[in-house]
Amino acid sequence: MQRFFITKENLKVLIASLKKDCDEFIAPKREHLDDLVFGDAKNEGGELLEYEGNSVISPRAFLLPQTEPLFEIQSVKNCGFRPIEDKKTRIFYGVRPCDIKAISLMKEFFLQGIEDTFYKQKLEHSVFISLACGKRCFAKSFCNLMDAGPVAKEGFDLQLIPLSRGYLAEAGSKKGSQIIQKNKKLFSKALPDDEKEIKALLKNFAERVKKIDFKKLANIMQEDKVSPEVWDDIGQRCVVCSGCITLCPTCSCFSIVDRLDGDKGVRLRYCDGCPYAGFTRMAGGSTPFPLHKEHIRRFFEHKLNVDLQRYGTPSCVGCGRCIQACPGNISIKKFIDTVILNG
Amino acid sequence: MNNEYLPKKAIIEKIIQESSDTKTFLLCLNHRAYGRLKYKPGQFLMLSLAGFGEAPFTFASIPGKDGRFQVSVRRVGALTNALHQFKEKDIVGVRGPYGNTFPLEKLKKKDLLFVAGGCGIAPLRSLIQYVFKHRKEYGKIEIIYGCRTPGDRFYRAEMESWQNNPDTKVHLTVDEPDEKWGGSCGVVCVLFPKIKLNPKTSFAFICGPALMIKFAIRDILKFGFKEPNIWASLERYMKCGIGKCGHCYLKGKYVCLDGPNFSYSQMKELGIEA
Repeated sequence: MQRFFITKENLKVLIASLKKDCDEFIAPKREHLDDLVFGDAKNEGGELLEYEGNSVISPRAFLLPQTEPLFEIQSVKNCGFRPIEDKKTRIFYGVRPCDIKAISLMKEFFLQGIEDTFYKQKLEHSVFISLACGKRCFAKSFCNLMDAGPVAKEGFDLQLIPLSRGYLAEAGSKKGSQIIQKNKKLFSKALPDDEKEIKALLKNFAERVKKIDFKKLANIMQEDKVSPEVWDDIGQRCVVCSGCITLCPTCSCFSIVDRLDGDKGVRLRYCDGCPYAGFTRMAGGSTPFPLHKEHIRRFFEHKLNVDLQRYGTPSCVGCGRCIQACPGNISIKKFIDTVILNG
Repeated sequence: MNNEYLPKKAIIEKIIQESSDTKTFLLCLNHRAYGRLKYKPGQFLMLSLAGFGEAPFTFASIPGKDGRFQVSVRRVGALTNALHQFKEKDIVGVRGPYGNTFPLEKLKKKDLLFVAGGCGIAPLRSLIQYVFKHRKEYGKIEIIYGCRTPGDRFYRAEMESWQNNPDTKVHLTVDEPDEKWGGSCGVVCVLFPKIKLNPKTSFAFICGPALMIKFAIRDILKFGFKEPNIWASLERYMKCGIGKCGHCYLKGKYVCLDGPNFSYSQMKELGIEA
């Protein structure tokens, strides 16, 4: 893959020109209390060129919003429904490699079998610009162990890797190549020293860690060999705050509900998740999985075992957000370590 | 844009009161607009009432003229309560069919056992009707049906006509008999000693409450049926029907995509033991 170089000043120019080409420019911003979140910066500005760590919540919220209309209900009596389309073009800037991998996994999930029109449509109208990590972000993140960072391998349209003198840019798709082509003047050739700097960065990340044996981990879970005490402990710690599923970039479960105002309204889907006690409850009251430990078990098994079998990679990207958020100190990383150590 | 979540309009042509809390709805898709609904026994549809959301129901019949179909609905929640207020000629939304069917080819020439508890007869009825439509291709048929009271029995007239088919037996049992009831009493398992099928080659199909499925499988296994030949229709909470919403996820499978019909060998892999 051909790599280019772009200076900080030129990147600002590039961003200004990209903003003109889209309806929403989703970029990292500082909100009140100094929290880092993704938001639309097309008109208000305030986007950060570079930032440390990762956003509190992943850009998932723009692809699978908390609530999203599926269609309008025009008349309750006649079951009159009118489809809704989202044709907005979005450019996502500064997405971390872990979240890029998460979006790729979600894409595979939503487009397999019967396609999810809404996710597909948003992806088709989106451009993803990844910003690789120069440093470790949260102390609790472990993207390098999950094959999701510090530099994205695929899934981005354009990737920027921070260097001491600017950024290395690489295109990961046609959309990305077109951006470079269109703004040729802003880019220059990458130098051998730049490549060296990246190699050093990757080495720095890789040296500190021992690789996780995903297959071993999945096998232990598949054969139900995780000790019951581990699940019991997790079940006691979970307070069903739902922080993990809200922040997880690969959580995609939803529920569907109708909201009416008189005879008109909307059917919408909203984010839902397996930790809630009512997630499997059926009409009539029977709940196949009533216990907390069963819920978190479902969460962990799905990410670490089932998705490894399905996609060849676990769908935990190691962003560490769930660990950071959990008031009960449940850690998927600690879980992985314990299982592998005892397995 | 093809929005899979958008229901198609269907008209309620007829409503049959099956028991005090269950009605069967004969529905017809507006086939001029959407074409005929094609589905196989055991598949399900998502039924929408604007303002109340949607819920999955298994087809309770084989496709009729112009793809007409039936669903039997028990009044248990907000949506089903609302549906029970609907009248003939009212319009509902439907999408589907979703889910898998039974191994119809493998069943040919084999003896079949059906075990249904309560409204579990509805999902099995599509297969029973299918088998009777092609009666010569199948072996002996025995149907075991258990309900709470004699008044809770569905499809009473039709069930009598099933008896008239060659090599077919229908066994009934109720939990709480009334004075007029002359048949068996107790759970469906009390009827198993009456079965006269060859367990080695026969297939069994079970649908009912989770606990009934569990005990029925246990007894049928003891009887000598093979694990891959025992099929159950599972019920799970589901919202989308297309494997996206995650509610019916079960150990890497989605009941709406990979099911709702599973053989007992598959159920064991999903962690459901009898």
